[in-house]
Amino acid sequence: MKLISAILSLVGTKFLSWSNEVGGMILLSWDILRNCVPPKLDGPETWRNLYRVGVKSFPIVVVTAMLTGAIMVIQSGMYIKEYGAYGLLGWGAGYSVLREVGPIMIGLMFSGRVGANNTAELGTMRVTDQVDALRALAIDPIAYLVMPRVLAMVVMLFLLVVIGDLTALIGGAYTGQVLLGVDAKLFAWSIVNYILLEDFTHGLIKAVAFGFAIALISCHFGMRTTGGAVGVGRAVNASVVASAIAIFVLDYFITYMDA
Amino acid sequence: MGRIVFKNIHKAFGSKVVLRGVDLTVEPGAVFFVIGQSGAGKSVLVKHLIGLIEPDEGQIFLDDVEVTNLHEKDFYPIRKRCAMVFQNSTLFDSMTLLENVMLPIRKHLKLNKEEIRALAIEKLTLVGMEQFGDRYAADFGDGMRKKVAIARALTLNPEYVIFDEPTTGIDPISAAMVDKLIRHLADHHDVTSIVISHDLRSIFGIADRIAMLYKGKLIMDGTQDDFRNTDNPIIQQFINGRPEGPMEI
Repeated sequence: MKLISAILSLVGTKFLSWSNEVGGMILLSWDILRNCVPPKLDGPETWRNLYRVGVKSFPIVVVTAMLTGAIMVIQSGMYIKEYGAYGLLGWGAGYSVLREVGPIMIGLMFSGRVGANNTAELGTMRVTDQVDALRALAIDPIAYLVMPRVLAMVVMLFLLVVIGDLTALIGGAYTGQVLLGVDAKLFAWSIVNYILLEDFTHGLIKAVAFGFAIALISCHFGMRTTGGAVGVGRAVNASVVASAIAIFVLDYFITYMDA
Repeated sequence: MGRIVFKNIHKAFGSKVVLRGVDLTVEPGAVFFVIGQSGAGKSVLVKHLIGLIEPDEGQIFLDDVEVTNLHEKDFYPIRKRCAMVFQNSTLFDSMTLLENVMLPIRKHLKLNKEEIRALAIEKLTLVGMEQFGDRYAADFGDGMRKKVAIARALTLNPEYVIFDEPTTGIDPISAAMVDKLIRHLADHHDVTSIVISHDLRSIFGIADRIAMLYKGKLIMDGTQDDFRNTDNPIIQQFINGRPEGPMEI
């Protein structure tokens, strides 16, 4: 009886905790929406975040995407070789990179680098009273801190996925040429002939959705941090885990709706 | 500019009761010190005035207008008139000292870039930090950061300023400078200051009135002489800094 009671208590506690987080994110989404009409953004803070989120992520995204494209070609290489279907190499790599692997890999990298950093920064501001100091200066923390971050993450993840897709295809073409002897022109021909524009836009829709989810989750956990340095660590951990889950759940639904 | 009145303020955080019915009146233009042990509820009390904390019970009046439980946005006009210097300096780490001071000017006053910069430098000069304007907050110790926080709080020329332990962690000369500034604001600009402090030199140097909180209640409100001459053993223990006495630690 005690065991059942303990299990029910644990389930109840977890349920309340999750409900609390989901409710907090819904309220934050509402606050973001309210600040969109008319748009309230602080210029210097927006530029700082665009730079921090986008430009600083560029090198790691390029390296990740280049290797992702190469891995796609290596994985499909043995079948391409076996069947002599060299003309399909560009399609195989491009289709998987543009629709699925590109947005997911870059989204996860982005979440780990930018989302975690964002939660840590906001969380530290929260536990050191900097957020209350903004309120005391009659500055809305949502408009000043959250809005520029949401905009920067959505815009920059979109652009990084565009750049990442291109880089992945270049990585794939290079690997195809070096390892399989597939001419880069044939690789490009395969992409142009078999890949549709909607394959590319499908990935970009995912990029926008992932960008918003990472921004919302990282800002939510950052703005609700309590408990000093330990609390900041907990918030970052929760933010990274929740962002990763959100990326896969959104990916599932967007793929399902487009199928 | 008018009085600040706290009426029967109660506040608890979960099971921890912090304030148990505090009544306090701060007259215009006064330097009003709130003293008491750490955890007595001093910071919690003053944060109610600008809506950073909502009371469980009681009322707060500013200029005879009730400001209890206003909506967050309705507190913005009050916060422009009533600035707060926090216990931690709360400077924004991503900005230089000058940018920190420029922020409220940039957000609330319609001035061009040069005017904003000039006003921020003027405020930094008030606290002797103008030569460090292009450095980041992280480069400085808490004392110097606190001086910049004071400069930032004064940017909108507030009528009321809440100073939460403004001289804690500051060297004696800088502390004397901060005291002089608080006195100057009251004497020459009619600024009402509520100062939370444990610094006896400040308290018995510049206070017009002093209120002492103990266990979430106001146990005395009076002048410097009232505090020096009282027979209350708790107050005597506190102002003489004696480890032994009736005060529970």
